[in-house]
Amino acid sequence: MTMTTQARLDGDASTIGRPTPQVNAQEKLTGRALYGGDFRTPGMLHLKVLRSPYAHARIISIDTAAASALPGVHAVLTGDDTPDRLTGVHRKQHRILATSKVRFVGEEVVAVAAIDEDTARDALDLVRVEYEPLPLVHNMDEALSPGTIEVHESTGNLSIEYKVERGDVDSAFARAALVHEATYETTSQYPGYLEPMATVAWVEGDGRLVVRASTQTAFLQRNRFAEALGLPVSAVRVIQSTVGGAFGGKTVEECNSLICAWMAYRLGRPVRFVNSRLDDFLGARSSPAERIWLKMGVDNQGLIIAKEVKILADCGAYEGLATHVLQVSLVRSDNMHRYLKDVRLHGRLAFTNHPPRGAVRGFGGPQAAFALNSHMAELAEKLGIDPVEFMRRNAVRAGDTTVHGFELGSAGLTECLDQVSEGIGWITKKARRPDTGLKRRGIGFAGAIHVSGNREMGNWDGSIVTARMTTDGRVTLSTGESDMGQGAYTMLAQCCASELAIPVSHVTVLPTDTDVSPYGHGSIASRVTILAGNAAIRAGREIRGRLLALASETLGVPEGDLTVSGGEIFATSALPNRRLTFGELARMHIYRHGGEELRVTATYDPPTFLAMSRPDQYGNVAPGYSFAAQAVEVEVDTETGQVEILETFVSDDCGKAINPLAVHGQTCGAAAMSIGWALYEEMKFQDCQLLNGNFADYTMPTAESLPNIQSGIIESLEPNGPYGAKGASETAMLPGAAAIANAVYDAVGVRIRELPITPEKILAGLREQEATAAARERRHA
Amino acid sequence: MSRVTIEVVVNGQPHRAEIPARRLLADFIRDDLFLTGTKRGCETGVCGACSVLLDGEVVKSCLSLAVQAEGHEITTVEGITSGGELHPLQASFAEHGGFQCGYCTPGMLMAAIAILNESPSPTEAEVRAGLSGNLCRCTGYVGIVESIMAAAEKMRGT
Repeated sequence: MTMTTQARLDGDASTIGRPTPQVNAQEKLTGRALYGGDFRTPGMLHLKVLRSPYAHARIISIDTAAASALPGVHAVLTGDDTPDRLTGVHRKQHRILATSKVRFVGEEVVAVAAIDEDTARDALDLVRVEYEPLPLVHNMDEALSPGTIEVHESTGNLSIEYKVERGDVDSAFARAALVHEATYETTSQYPGYLEPMATVAWVEGDGRLVVRASTQTAFLQRNRFAEALGLPVSAVRVIQSTVGGAFGGKTVEECNSLICAWMAYRLGRPVRFVNSRLDDFLGARSSPAERIWLKMGVDNQGLIIAKEVKILADCGAYEGLATHVLQVSLVRSDNMHRYLKDVRLHGRLAFTNHPPRGAVRGFGGPQAAFALNSHMAELAEKLGIDPVEFMRRNAVRAGDTTVHGFELGSAGLTECLDQVSEGIGWITKKARRPDTGLKRRGIGFAGAIHVSGNREMGNWDGSIVTARMTTDGRVTLSTGESDMGQGAYTMLAQCCASELAIPVSHVTVLPTDTDVSPYGHGSIASRVTILAGNAAIRAGREIRGRLLALASETLGVPEGDLTVSGGEIFATSALPNRRLTFGELARMHIYRHGGEELRVTATYDPPTFLAMSRPDQYGNVAPGYSFAAQAVEVEVDTETGQVEILETFVSDDCGKAINPLAVHGQTCGAAAMSIGWALYEEMKFQDCQLLNGNFADYTMPTAESLPNIQSGIIESLEPNGPYGAKGASETAMLPGAAAIANAVYDAVGVRIRELPITPEKILAGLREQEATAAARERRHA
Repeated sequence: MSRVTIEVVVNGQPHRAEIPARRLLADFIRDDLFLTGTKRGCETGVCGACSVLLDGEVVKSCLSLAVQAEGHEITTVEGITSGGELHPLQASFAEHGGFQCGYCTPGMLMAAIAILNESPSPTEAEVRAGLSGNLCRCTGYVGIVESIMAAAEKMRGT
């Protein structure tokens, strides 16, 4: 039964494509939303952890006696008290607290539970740990040098290695009219969510463990807690609190929730663990620093025909999702090049004594995009063509199957290029006479590809939405995906409301509770709009179908003569006065012989392929691919090296923008995060010790430091997408850093290949220019 | 540990409480008065999530001791709605994308109130300068600035 052809739907009620305030605006704006650390329960204890001050050391002894004796302290536990099974995302490498050895500064060694946070902190001061320092693995080069001490035995400090080769790379390079190679380096970015990781956990009377946490992935967390504690999955319940930003940092790598869950289970009492900001800097997974060597070959038409990529990435001390991040850095950006058939990739991930690295917004994409777009700008200059034109000439299009097997149902890269060029006035600014004063302006540009969903777990990348119609005719949706601020719940409510022609306010989306919500992988890989959006549409249609069938039967009118509008179903022509409200129908659905609550479950699993299962990484991993481009105008002060961003325009090809208000918000937020990474955000280490674990020293962009970011949307309608939509949360994070580097080069002729683009590096480049010019003059003299 | 008794008015409600002398104003508001709308994001006065109004001036409650509020009036995010109606700034933040995750939002609203108290017709640059003590990771500040500018216009009745 296809309802769309049988019954008319009041299209005016739909908010699809209209700026729509977030459905949780009221609770967030009045301070009533309960985030991870806001929740309290009677008898709750407060947890704090003692972290290792050494980056690599043996634990000789731990004396907890004085701490345990402090009044108000309930437990002082060490690694020996934790289950002896190892935990980790893929490779199981660590216990809940460290035993025998610590491998990074900040590794969790002792956990205290006390009546309040002050007492817990006081107790930590009384714990005495004796360490025997070991030699450090300072960086990834040292890690892979022969004879270096191993962070983990029998690994050679190599976490993973990828080798992919397609076509005949050497002869493609031989055919190329121009070959260029260069090396680029990126630094580790802290996710920087404003809500430090926070968890409250307790044990129910029946012995089941309940964990209420700030998380992107409630169900993956449930699996992880069950595995780490040796419990059946059914004995663990994870409830998602309001999430105060996540950016990849609140999935299954952080240890705050794991330690809290274990302590609560062990003590049988409610425990609350809120990271301090320093805890969070040390305990969160920041993005892997990568060194990317690129070699690209271009034919005499300016088409990219050969590419070779070598990446060395810093995993830090434990392996989490960094292996997958590296895979993305290696493979994904190749898929932007329409004519590329011959490509060779080599990636290595090295264990060091840095804090473990993992998932951060863009998931390997920003690193690759910085290298690729810098490289393409260098190539364009050598070719003597405009960099925007160079990318346009090579841009993939809808209908293409790319070099690594991505099947592009939609592709708005070219349109993104046009929009940002227009938006920033590329042609006019390019034609301008170069500035010669102390302050010089320049323009730069970059483009990017990202996935919407990614088949990677258990060969299922589906999403399930359960919809219930309550007896007042309103709808409650349950999902395993998370809203961490990006507007997922609003999008789901819009999709369902649109199918039922009811206001968005008549749909409530419940936060994930693994006891009652349908299973979901959670909010990762920009997957929620395209996957859960489709499921919400299906759920809405299914409800509508049930309502129409019941109305048709009750009114004695064929479904084709019924109209759905304003929360009612009525006969279109013959009997205009006969109508039934959704509430009446929902009640009839229950209160009859054999009746039941009007409740449906709908699933969407996309037609994609588990490329990660193949050594060559080939296959169509996502149901849709998003594109973005960004143009930047900077002004560089040649006396101070300071870069000011005068103007920037970002375009996001997210397919249909279901909620343009949310899309613009995501685009601007992502662009700001990339500007921070490009110019000053950097986890700084000395001997593997983090030097800037606070917001005064690790500087994120403020309102004053940013221009008014302009954003545009390209609606390349995605055939697999809900109303044509794709993901919109990460893509705009990718192009910013290279766009700025390219603009700096345009302004002052200094090419920065190592992030961040600091005044010191620019001044050093300018001095080098002067020295070269002076040497040239001497030769001529 | 020494304890002191303080008297403060919070959101129009007088409170008398005996607290440890080292109690931070942020913790007093959150843990003793259960007004958890005020957030803690950094403990070092940088992020501004804990911003509240002290006699109408914006202060960072993580850098203030509760005893310093003795005899003063404090306003938190819970105190800015009136008669169940959202403050024009709150309504504007919803309409113009002034928040996403919402964690910085209570502090942003406090900063915004202080900006508009000082200058009912601020320029965009003044708004950005006024927000420089508050971090947001979600919005790139575009929606926040727009929200404040739009609310200012509405509040001026123009």
